[in-house]
Amino acid sequence: MNNGNTTREITLTVNGRKRTVTIEVRRTLADFLREDLGLTATHLGCEHGVCGACTVIVDGATERSCTQLAVQADGREVTTVEGLNGPNGELHPVQEALRDHHSFQCGFCTPGFVMAIHGMVEEKKAGRPSPCSRAEIREELSGNICRCTGYQSIIDGAEAALAAGAGKES
Amino acid sequence: MAGGSAISGLVGARVHRKEDRTILTGAGRYVDDVQERGMLHCHFLRSTVAHARITGIDVEAARGLEGVVRVFTGADMSAITEDLNFAQPIPGLHSPAYPAIAHDVVRYVGEPVALIVAESRYLAEDAAALIEVEYDLLDPVVSTTAGLADGAPQLFEDVPGNVVHADEQLFGDIEAAFAQADHVVTDSLDQHRWACNPMETRGGVATYDRGSGQLTYEASTQTTHTLRFLLAGWIRQPIHQLRVTANNIGGGFGLKFSIYREDVALCAAAKAIGGTVKWIEDRNEHLVAAGAAREEQLTLEAAVKADGTLLGLRVTMLLDAGAYPINPPATVYAGLVRTTLPGPYKLPAYQFSHKIVATNKASYISLRGPWAVETLVRERLMDKIASTCGISPVEVRRRNLITLDDQPTKMVTNVTLECVTAAETFEKMIGMVDLDEVRREQEAARAEGRLLGFGVGTFIEPAPGTQEFWAAVGFPFGAEPLRIRIEIDGKVTAFTPQTPHGQSHETTLSQLIGDELGVGMDDIRIVYGDTDATPFSMLGTGGSRAATMASGAAVYGARELRTRVLDIASHLLEASVDDLEIVDGIVSVKGAPGASVPLGQIAMGCWLAPDQMPEGTNTELEYVASYDGEGGGFSQASHACWVEIDQETGKVEVTRFLVVEDCGRMINPAVVEGQVVGGVAMGLGGMLLEHSAYDAEGQFLSATFMDYLMPSAPEVPEVEIEHLEFESDKVISSRGVGEGGTVLAPAALLNAIDDALAQVGRGRVMATPVTPTRMLELLGVIEKA
Repeated sequence: MNNGNTTREITLTVNGRKRTVTIEVRRTLADFLREDLGLTATHLGCEHGVCGACTVIVDGATERSCTQLAVQADGREVTTVEGLNGPNGELHPVQEALRDHHSFQCGFCTPGFVMAIHGMVEEKKAGRPSPCSRAEIREELSGNICRCTGYQSIIDGAEAALAAGAGKES
Repeated sequence: MAGGSAISGLVGARVHRKEDRTILTGAGRYVDDVQERGMLHCHFLRSTVAHARITGIDVEAARGLEGVVRVFTGADMSAITEDLNFAQPIPGLHSPAYPAIAHDVVRYVGEPVALIVAESRYLAEDAAALIEVEYDLLDPVVSTTAGLADGAPQLFEDVPGNVVHADEQLFGDIEAAFAQADHVVTDSLDQHRWACNPMETRGGVATYDRGSGQLTYEASTQTTHTLRFLLAGWIRQPIHQLRVTANNIGGGFGLKFSIYREDVALCAAAKAIGGTVKWIEDRNEHLVAAGAAREEQLTLEAAVKADGTLLGLRVTMLLDAGAYPINPPATVYAGLVRTTLPGPYKLPAYQFSHKIVATNKASYISLRGPWAVETLVRERLMDKIASTCGISPVEVRRRNLITLDDQPTKMVTNVTLECVTAAETFEKMIGMVDLDEVRREQEAARAEGRLLGFGVGTFIEPAPGTQEFWAAVGFPFGAEPLRIRIEIDGKVTAFTPQTPHGQSHETTLSQLIGDELGVGMDDIRIVYGDTDATPFSMLGTGGSRAATMASGAAVYGARELRTRVLDIASHLLEASVDDLEIVDGIVSVKGAPGASVPLGQIAMGCWLAPDQMPEGTNTELEYVASYDGEGGGFSQASHACWVEIDQETGKVEVTRFLVVEDCGRMINPAVVEGQVVGGVAMGLGGMLLEHSAYDAEGQFLSATFMDYLMPSAPEVPEVEIEHLEFESDKVISSRGVGEGGTVLAPAALLNAIDDALAQVGRGRVMATPVTPTRMLELLGVIEKA
């Protein structure tokens, strides 16, 4: 039986830092980030691409890290929640907006929502179509599941983050 | 002092959560984030059949795989553990003991049959694929009725007839009530099985220290202390050599109240191997094996007068317990439903009987307001009584609700109600709704071929309940401790047995302590989740206790230390205690800010040179407070729900949802509102989307999030909330609010759906979930399957 240890060398950039690593080809991007790099902000809620807790930004687009292999990120640029904070740990404006609106409770789904909302704000800044109404924000965030909040406070925070982000450079 | 003090105004304010920096930056330590040197990874092989005798298990190939450290069969595990035995001294309770890993018979799909420990989870799962298990199939029991049938397969030798517990209790003169009745109104509901599904599944990291013999279990749990004492016996570990910790917890909703067989197997494996082992359940395992809730069938028979006045109520409940008992025992669920069901209504006579039945399914577990079916069936019955008597759903409640003027009074279940404002929340809610407009909109919609419904409900919630209440249920209601310390520099550390997992206790307890001691939020740390550090409580976080019980312990603890500090300061500043205040950590004479001494200076003196502090003062700046709840109390709320039903697709859309709630004095309104909205969302999701479904063979049908539908943002309505902050004259008048949304929302929703169905001449919902398919059956669009 193949014990799954076929490896390959890949080069990718994670949170601005270029890395070359030799990795098992079957290792998921999420496990690579969490276990090999210690970037445990990216959470695993379902491991089948539904709950969105593992959302990261790959080459500017929000993607699931649980349903892709690390080797698929070869040559790409990955940003996790750890890559959002300022040099002295300052909260990113998206995080500030979510804090101000008491958006979350247990925090497990939170990094996925932060990245999804960050992705929305960046789209808006880039002048691409982005959600305007609360109903549209709900639709846009339908790929992220939160069991605690009932979403209302997350929508409040996302609305504020979109409003604040519209007038600012990243 | 009524209502507590508000020296620095933290209590009642929407202060930022202390938890948020950690969770927003992803800096938390959830159990899957733990990485220890040399840590090994676990995977459970689970039964693929619902009911079978294990006739053989071959683990040799798995043991031979490179990277596999150990494979435990059921027999291997039973050699190093005791069976899990949740039996309590409860008359007539048949609570079978069972092994951590099955070795003889499997009784549900997902039951562990082997534990593989390997260098990575990938390898552990590879090894699982190499294990051969031979099953000799037995007939499965997949419903309560099948389990109770003559000749039904027996799950356990020591559970005769598959009946785990049966009881009947009588309150008042039920025969007389029915003899006087103008109408006898009957109803029933078959509630489906649905699940807690916290976003973080179960899991743990167990480390055995071969030198000291100490075992540390970092768990995802709601109750560190209970987990510890049950675990100790079952893994044969002296309890003083066992420490249970918990850091960030990704939700629980009742699931993480119990210890599970996986906890036992994991910790025993760590001990046997002499190192660190980790198990993180994946979502598939979680959905299949972690247990689910709410599977109850109730029938009701109400004796009423022509004007809708309740005279008596007979209720029977069948509860599908799944195969194996967990904590708390099933009698507690039945006791909760029985005791709470009369709710905030005047009811002279009541009869409640139940049967708890073992079936070949995963365990029946606690879910956010585990008694919720009582409110669901009662509020549906009230609507049916209204329609029988020709009065409105509002009027039937007005005629039966207990108002503040009626109190104190006793429920028919012998529980004293005092300061209960269900009727007041209901009136406030009805005042916010134009009922005539609701009916006009419905008529206009029908003219366009659209179908709208409107429903209401009201309830009381034991949050935390009273001594009498819990005695009636058959569960202890203990005091809540908290250890509090003013540190050498004047900062404050408090140690709570609460194990918060989203409830914001670090924030709310800091608000309370901050106001009492005159220190800022940033100068207070709340320590939880460590049995080495926190005082004992059996309950941890659950049962909506914290708002009253943990708050009380925090306030009494902080007040005691405040008294000691002010006594010392009065000597140092030569002022009367009554003239002193503490603001931002400085003790000063009111109106004379020059006469002051920092809290840190007093603390340093107390810790380093207590003999030099003013004579006769108490210089101990650490204190364990205990709060008895001052008799406890109830929360209450009323909900109104508006739905639109698509008659072509069967989709039910909740178009508006209104909550008027009263949890007494709010410590942090943003936290309260978060709990309310989250609770409502869970209740609506449970009724419309979620289903832990089994087929006739006991196979599990909802093993991914593509099959088990969780509500996402577009499915959840905007929830409007109005607060009614009734404050009792107790020191702590805050009540729990975490469970109520999930308890009451299903009732308002189903009443709204029934209202819509009635408008087109169709019958009521008799079974849940109300999926589009069921809705089309109810509308007569498709034949009943």
